[in-house]
Amino acid sequence: MQTTAKRLAGRLAAHAALPAALFAISLSSAASAAPAGDKLVIQAGRIVTQAGPDILDGVIVIENGRITAIGPSSEVEKPWDAPVLGGPELTAFPGFVEAQTSDGMDRPNENLDVAPFLDIADSVDPVAYYFEDCLRWGITTVNIQQGNDCVVAGQGMIVRPVGLTIEEMVVRPRFGTKIAVAPKRGKSRATQLQVLRAAFDDLRRYLEELVQKERDERGYAAREALFQGRDLEGEENQGRTMGGTAWKVDGLDLIPRGAIDEKMAPLLEIVEGRRPVFLYCGAAMDVPHALAVARENGFLARTTLLIDPSCWKASDLIAEAGVPVILDGDQMHVRRNPVSGEEEETFVPGVLKEKGIRFALSSQNANTNSLWYQAALAVGKGLTRQEALDAVTKVPAEILGMGPEIGSLETGKLGNVLLLSGDPLRVTTWVERVVIEGREVYDRAKDVRNKHLLEGKQPPGTAAEAAEHDEGGETDEAKDKGDAKDQDEDKK
Amino acid sequence: MIRRLPTGLALGALAVLGASAAAQDAWVIRAETIYTAAGDPIAGGHVRVEKGKIASVGSGPGSGANVLEAAAVTPGMIDLSARIGTTELSVEQSTETAAELSVVEAIDFFSFRWDRELRSGVTAVLVSPYDNDVIGGLAAVVKTGGPPTLEARLVKEAAALRAAIGSQPSAGNRTPRGAPPSSFYFRRPTTRMGVEWVLRKAYWDAIQAAERGEADTDPHVRARHEVLRRTIRGELPVIVDAWATQDIRTAIFLKEEFQIPRLIVDGAAEAWREPELLARAGLGVVLPPHVFTGRTREEAFFAWDCAATVEELGLPLALSAHGARDFGARLDRQAGFAMRGGLPFAAALASVTIHPARMVGVDDRLGSLEVGKDADVLLWNGTPFEATSAVIGVLLNGELVLDPRAAAGQ
Repeated sequence: MQTTAKRLAGRLAAHAALPAALFAISLSSAASAAPAGDKLVIQAGRIVTQAGPDILDGVIVIENGRITAIGPSSEVEKPWDAPVLGGPELTAFPGFVEAQTSDGMDRPNENLDVAPFLDIADSVDPVAYYFEDCLRWGITTVNIQQGNDCVVAGQGMIVRPVGLTIEEMVVRPRFGTKIAVAPKRGKSRATQLQVLRAAFDDLRRYLEELVQKERDERGYAAREALFQGRDLEGEENQGRTMGGTAWKVDGLDLIPRGAIDEKMAPLLEIVEGRRPVFLYCGAAMDVPHALAVARENGFLARTTLLIDPSCWKASDLIAEAGVPVILDGDQMHVRRNPVSGEEEETFVPGVLKEKGIRFALSSQNANTNSLWYQAALAVGKGLTRQEALDAVTKVPAEILGMGPEIGSLETGKLGNVLLLSGDPLRVTTWVERVVIEGREVYDRAKDVRNKHLLEGKQPPGTAAEAAEHDEGGETDEAKDKGDAKDQDEDKK
Repeated sequence: MIRRLPTGLALGALAVLGASAAAQDAWVIRAETIYTAAGDPIAGGHVRVEKGKIASVGSGPGSGANVLEAAAVTPGMIDLSARIGTTELSVEQSTETAAELSVVEAIDFFSFRWDRELRSGVTAVLVSPYDNDVIGGLAAVVKTGGPPTLEARLVKEAAALRAAIGSQPSAGNRTPRGAPPSSFYFRRPTTRMGVEWVLRKAYWDAIQAAERGEADTDPHVRARHEVLRRTIRGELPVIVDAWATQDIRTAIFLKEEFQIPRLIVDGAAEAWREPELLARAGLGVVLPPHVFTGRTREEAFFAWDCAATVEELGLPLALSAHGARDFGARLDRQAGFAMRGGLPFAAALASVTIHPARMVGVDDRLGSLEVGKDADVLLWNGTPFEATSAVIGVLLNGELVLDPRAAAGQ
């Protein structure tokens, strides 16, 4: 982690020459100006709590990052020393939750097929425009997982989209692992599944060999670990019987947990049911294989399926398995009828709802980066307003195991609050302010890049100006860096 | 869509009905709000449709047997740049200035994309030749549904003359090397300068020919000249593909040099940059689909308030979805995005109905809900253009082609 921080610091120093960095810095300095622990009172003409009826002329009190009181202005006692944010013209809403994305990573995919030992933290770029966009569209919690082009991916993490270092951003480190059943580039479905099954076979063989060696030669595992320079202290020094519901390796209790190779440890966590898995299916035919692998290795209960829209055809299987899903991409599955040649559209959330499957929508979509828009479109096509809003707040919060923390505005939950110019699903509504854990981190009035998108205005010396590199008025150095960045994005 | 059986549809799929499934020639549509695009909205009103035309519009429930109900009703939408029906294969190679050619000869009415437009509420489009010629030919207004024949679908044959400036007409053209410059294989022009020159030369030739008299001219060339002169006389609008400021400027200077009264810029993403120039020229503006990054073709930056800016100048404004596959980016959504950028609702409605109809001269039949006009009517499940609303029913020429009662059961 120390090396990560050092590398980040180096990267930031390089960015300092870029006007682009100015905006990011101004955002996060606003964040550090109001350290967690401060009190904040949010006022709104209407609070959509997502936990009961709306509150008119309401107040939210946040202390030490958490909501301590919420209710009508007349009933809630406001701390005398707390700054007040908002006004009667605004609507308060809980921050949107991105159930899963690879955005914000320097590059989303990894060459290694099976790499559960890698940590996304080394790959997240805190100054990526993506995180700015999150605030602009009201996303306050992001689950970052490696891209879908993998077999067993590295360890993901949950972040808040604000901060200059990964340490500032992290909400849950080393959270979850993505596993893909749809073939990685260059693989067929057969080799993909073979590599996937082999990964768990390898784990089993490794553990069995380790136990055998330990039995042959008492203290082997501990000596090996010490030889590799690893500390075996406290809990790490303890052996435990293997957990989980699928297969077991007898005698694992002989091995100190800290002595298990860190390349294998995350997979063991998966088999023991201690690590959430995001299982990617690129087509309906992947779904039965995905569920079988999850069952064979005991992680079905910790599985969330990440599905391509075409997977609606396997919705009966998904419903039977009882796993939640994240819809990856467009809500409308469009295909050509092979007989008539005509286009047929299927509204996927409608099918999921009908089958009783819990689902989250995601904003990885060709035309928009925003969860509000996804939810609104779903209402137009037949979801109720509550179902649609839940699919971008409460359900993803539950999928991330953060149900008691985020997804609605209730006493005791984190103070992640949006102040909107109107109803969350109206097409003319803008995110005016964003509060994350009691700190104001976004103010639309100061968002120069949004002003650029909306009005084409480019205030001099800003990120917006540097981004539009076909315009004059920038240094060659900045231009070169801008071009390099563009090329990186092209590679994705 | 005639070939499809009304049964056996995919689960939850929105399907356009077979014509035979709803062969009624009279309907009464009741709605909480009727947006006519010809005056104020009518609360609690009706639209009565008979024999393919609108028979009455007004407040109250109306009378009649076949009743449909919806939250809101609007005219069918019109897309002047749906980019449908023609491909690069229909680019004429023998000339760069094919003004006398008509696109109607090249429209593929069997493409599945017509159905996509129809079920998303676009009932008429302007079909233009593909933009690889500087002057592509005559564009036509057609309906997006009905029997797949020209006779059944054509609204207006020579509705506008299509031209293109910018990089598209010269894209892929090579300068001759090691072969005679007259070779068929070297298309010209090869630069923006060349494109502009070809366009100006075409107009110059047409004007010169008129002064000289055209008795001896080849009949094809005479026809080409006559089309160009019709645009100068204002009998025919010119619709020019121009995205970036430099290309919009070229269009404006062309308009002023040859005094072309009705000039429409299509794809005009940077129309917001020089509003004074735009207002001076009195252009019609067709905007491309909104993108969340603002980046469009030709490195043009499409600011989100572009539609609102053009509207404030009092210029004719039309929106377009360019035939988007994604249901979150079609024409109804484009109107919503324009509202997000500051366009008032009434103007957003006009920009997908009556404005485009007027711009290509089909407002006698299309573009608003008025007695005697074609019965192209949309039924919505909420306020039109809100992201939470969708088109749930479509009548085309008075025929129910998307049944709102099916959507309700979804």
